[in-house]
This record gives sequence, structure tokens and C-alpha cells, in this order.
Amino acid sequence: MAGSFNFGEWISARSVIGDTLNEIGKTNEKLFVCTPDVGMNLKGFRENFPERYVDVGIAEQNCVGVAAGLALEGNVPVIMGMLPFLSMRACEQVRTAVCYQNLPVRIIGTGGGLTSGGGSTHNAMEDIAILKSMVNMNVLSIGDPNMIRDILKLSMDFPGPMYIRLAQGKKDRQLYEPGTLTFSIGGSVTAREGKDVTIFAHGEMVGLALDAAEILAADGIDVRVIDMYSIKPFDTQAVDKALTETGNLVVWEDHLMSGGLASTIADYFIDRDLRPKTFRRFGIPQVYAGFGSGEEQQRKYGYHIDDVVTYIRSLK
Amino acid sequence: MADAQEVKRLNDLAYEMRRMLINLCGEYEGSVHIGGDLSMTDLLIGLFHHGMHLNPDDIKDPARDRFILSKGHGAVCMYIAMCLRGFFDYDEIVKTYGQLDSKYGMHPCRVQLPALECSSGSLGQGLSMATGMAISAKAKKESHRIFCMLGDGETCEGSVWEAALTASSYKLGNLVAVIDRNKQMMCSRNGELINMTPYADKWKAFGWNVIEIDGHDMNAIVDVLDSLPPSSSCRPTAIVAHTIKGKGVDFMERVIGWHAGSLNKEDWAQALKDLAKNYGREEA
Repeated sequence: MAGSFNFGEWISARSVIGDTLNEIGKTNEKLFVCTPDVGMNLKGFRENFPERYVDVGIAEQNCVGVAAGLALEGNVPVIMGMLPFLSMRACEQVRTAVCYQNLPVRIIGTGGGLTSGGGSTHNAMEDIAILKSMVNMNVLSIGDPNMIRDILKLSMDFPGPMYIRLAQGKKDRQLYEPGTLTFSIGGSVTAREGKDVTIFAHGEMVGLALDAAEILAADGIDVRVIDMYSIKPFDTQAVDKALTETGNLVVWEDHLMSGGLASTIADYFIDRDLRPKTFRRFGIPQVYAGFGSGEEQQRKYGYHIDDVVTYIRSLK
Repeated sequence: MADAQEVKRLNDLAYEMRRMLINLCGEYEGSVHIGGDLSMTDLLIGLFHHGMHLNPDDIKDPARDRFILSKGHGAVCMYIAMCLRGFFDYDEIVKTYGQLDSKYGMHPCRVQLPALECSSGSLGQGLSMATGMAISAKAKKESHRIFCMLGDGETCEGSVWEAALTASSYKLGNLVAVIDRNKQMMCSRNGELINMTPYADKWKAFGWNVIEIDGHDMNAIVDVLDSLPPSSSCRPTAIVAHTIKGKGVDFMERVIGWHAGSLNKEDWAQALKDLAKNYGREEA
């Protein structure tokens, strides 16, 4: 279990996953853990349950296919890997072997957005667009590293496929005190109340949105922050409420601006003929980003915290 | 040696199944993958009517052997093999095949037809799923086998070899790949463009127990299925079955154009005539 909680302290989501899978494995024999050679945080499960630990080597397509086969036998396989390769190299297996058969395979990985540090080969900046287009797929993007524990536990009894995006996974900022919130597929967290503007964010950007809200509070701007950790399905009530109560909406995500959460919310508005007072999205433009830290790239590509703060100030 | 009466029973079934396939190919206006259906007919009869432990009255019997059709475009061949075994009704297949809301279409869908072990159709994915099922059985100490039927053409897909590597590494003696080695793809014969030889050696190099047979010799099919290593053994088995695309119909055999098609009245009659002649029978 995690030690005492300190807001903003950084812990590794990957080790939370390793610990949680090991814990679930003790009581739930349906849990299998699969990986294409990304098992560094899975040692506990590997040692305790070797017959339910499947490392196929660097072979994502096969990894997803094997997981589908395990699920066809009534098991709940959790795949741990790198998101660009699980979402793209194994894209068709995810779509056809997993989603078409509506199997309870869980795909979890790191490398969401421009966080990988590995350049464009290792950045999953299109993953949400790809995964949310698949029928039956549930898409989550988790920033708070402790949330993954609860999500994994609830996923053991959840019927359909699930894609869980982490940012870097090595060093993630704690946002919520463990055990104080209930998460669900289709849920959201109002991480901060506010009445002037709402920022919808997911993953790593939630913590940054809270920082932005703090900066803007000093200017007298009251910013609401919604953690949209569940992107498909998503919490339409939270969106409706923000639309009515704040009017000004910002979507901020470490994903291509097109096809991610912003597009999801925009689609929702179009389908219902809803018009926010203002609507602005911050994210990755149509570019293969180079190297550098996440923060450096956010600045370069126009979705840095300073860009968001400047924009929201301009709404006054 | 295989029991002669059993071989005769199976050959009779294979004849019946080929007739049913040809009749469906005549009845249905759209295209049927008749070439590859006829190449694996004897193998499917051997599997569904002799080699596999199955229970049509309890489709989810945990002790049943599992069958994965990786070459999903041969779905109708599987439907008919299963219908002769008591799973489905042939008339319903012919009446509804490929139509809106039918359970029976060009590629198998487990969601619509729960007696199937999986949905397939995108080539190269079946062996991975079969490998997952074999890992599950081994972890749970279940003794059934997992059979996976592949076309040799689809083994151009890299994911097949990823699965082959996993299966031998995880010592899956409960996994049996049956390869319909008809040496043709949709647009070319083996060696014209893509050369797959030496073929069996590739599976050997991946650590599999490899057995080559004539995939139209029912004696050989029965023998190989009767003498499989126990499912608790340590190596997966690949049965490389040498077959002929379009087997049994003279004008289809080894003809690229008959990868898939439909039969007009004259061809339909001729196909049945060819088949009867090749089986040494009066045309029924």
C-alpha cells in the first residue's frame, strides 16, 4: 500500500500497477498479466504467479492476440506495455481480436502524449483518437497514480475491453488522497470548483490545470478543473454543468488536438446543438515532435501552462 | 494403422461435405472461398469427426477440445463440418448464408454464433489466440487440446511467427497447428512471387514438433490425430498437410481464379459430376 499521502508528491504509477496486480493476483485466479517485454515493474506477479505471467518478448501484435485467447477462456488479462506500440503496431488485434469479440482485455501503458522523451517513435499522441474509434472499447487516461489502483480493481469485474493511458508512469503527481474518491468508467472528478471558466483535462495535464487555476485565482479568475479520466464513455453531466455554470470551456490534453477529448466534447455539442460561450482546445498540433522534456515541448507547440493562463486571462 | 471402416466413414462424410459446399456455392449468389474450402475439407472432417473431443449438446463443455479457424475465409467449410457433427442445420446455413442478420457469413463471428470458439477473418491472428487459450489451459491444468487451422498463405503474416515463438517457448504441448499447405494464395502460387520453401523446416526452427502428411489421405489424417503427443508434453505440434486447392473438382484444382467464386448452373452440375467421378461414385 502507498504510504502517507502528500499532495503533489511524485510517485510511480508503474509501481502502483505492479503492486496492485500482485495484490489482486492473490485472490483472483482470473487475472493474467501479459507484456511485450515491458515487465520491469511486474516482478512480484511474475515470481508469485509464473503460470499466469506471459511475457511474449517484443511482439505487441501477438501479445494482444494471446490476451484475447486468454479472455476467451474466461480470464481477465492485463497487458502492460508501451502505448505507441500497443495502440498502433497491435491496432488491428486490439480492434478485431479484442473489441469485435468484446473481450475483457485491459491494455495499460506509458508514453501518452509527448512524455516519453524518446521522440516521435515513442510518443503516443494519436492513441486516444485511435482507441476511442473502436466499438466496445473504453478509454481512460489517468494522471493521479493512486487512481490506477482503484481502476484496476474495478476492472476485474468490468465486462468489456479497456484502454488505460498513463503519461510517463515513472514519476506521477499525486492529486487525490487515496480512498477518498470513488472512480467509475464514465466518471470524472471535479478536482477544483470554479464559476468563471472550466478546464477539462486528463492525465498529466490535470495537475497542471490545478496549477493554472491557482495562478488565475490570484487574478480573481475562478477556474473549475475537471479530471476527465474516462474519455469513452465520458461524464456528460459534468460537461453539461460546466456549460451552464461557467460557459467558458477549455480542453487541455497531451494528445493531438484533433481526435482526443476536445473532439469528444465538441462532437457532443454538435449532436445536441449546444453552444458554449467560448470553447478553446490546447494540445499537440499536426506535427511529429522532436526530443526534449514534456514541458519544453508543451512550450514549443503552444500548450504550455503559460499559454493556457494567458488565454484564460484574455477572456476577461 | 487407421481402422479401415473409420476411414471409409470419414471419406463418405468428406464426399458429402464437398457436395454440400458445392451446392452452397451454386445456391449463393455471392462469392464463396471454394478453393480453400475444398483443400481443407478432409482435414476438417478428420478433426471434427474423429480427432477432436467435442460435445454438440454442451457447446461450453470445459473438457472440449478448442478449434480456432485462423483462415477465417473458410468459415463455411467449418460451419458444414460442424453441421454434419450435429452443431448446426445445413438448410438454415444455405437459406441465410451471407444475408442480413444471418449467423452464418463469410467470416466466422462468435458473437453471432456462440458455438464457435472465436471470431476470425483477419489473417495471421488465430495462432495468437490459440496460444493464449493453450496458456490458460496449461495454467489451470486442463488436459484438452487447442487446434488451430491455418492457411499456408496467411503464414506470410509476421504475427504467426510471433505466436509460434511464444508457443514453443511456453512449451505448449496442448497446442496443435494444422496448416492447409495448398501452396496458393489469392493471386499467386508458391514460388512465383513469394517462396515459402523449405516450409516445414521453418516450423522446426521455431521449436515445433512437425509432421508432414498428405492432407487428402484420410488414413494419414487419422493416424496423425491418433498419435499426437499428450497435451501435457512440452512441444507444440504443427501438422503440415499438403493439399490441393479446389480438391475434387477438376476445373477448380490448382486454378488461381477459383480462390473464390460462385457457380452458374452448368459449372455447378459439372462440379458435382467431377466430384462423383473422383470419388468413384454414381452422381447422386
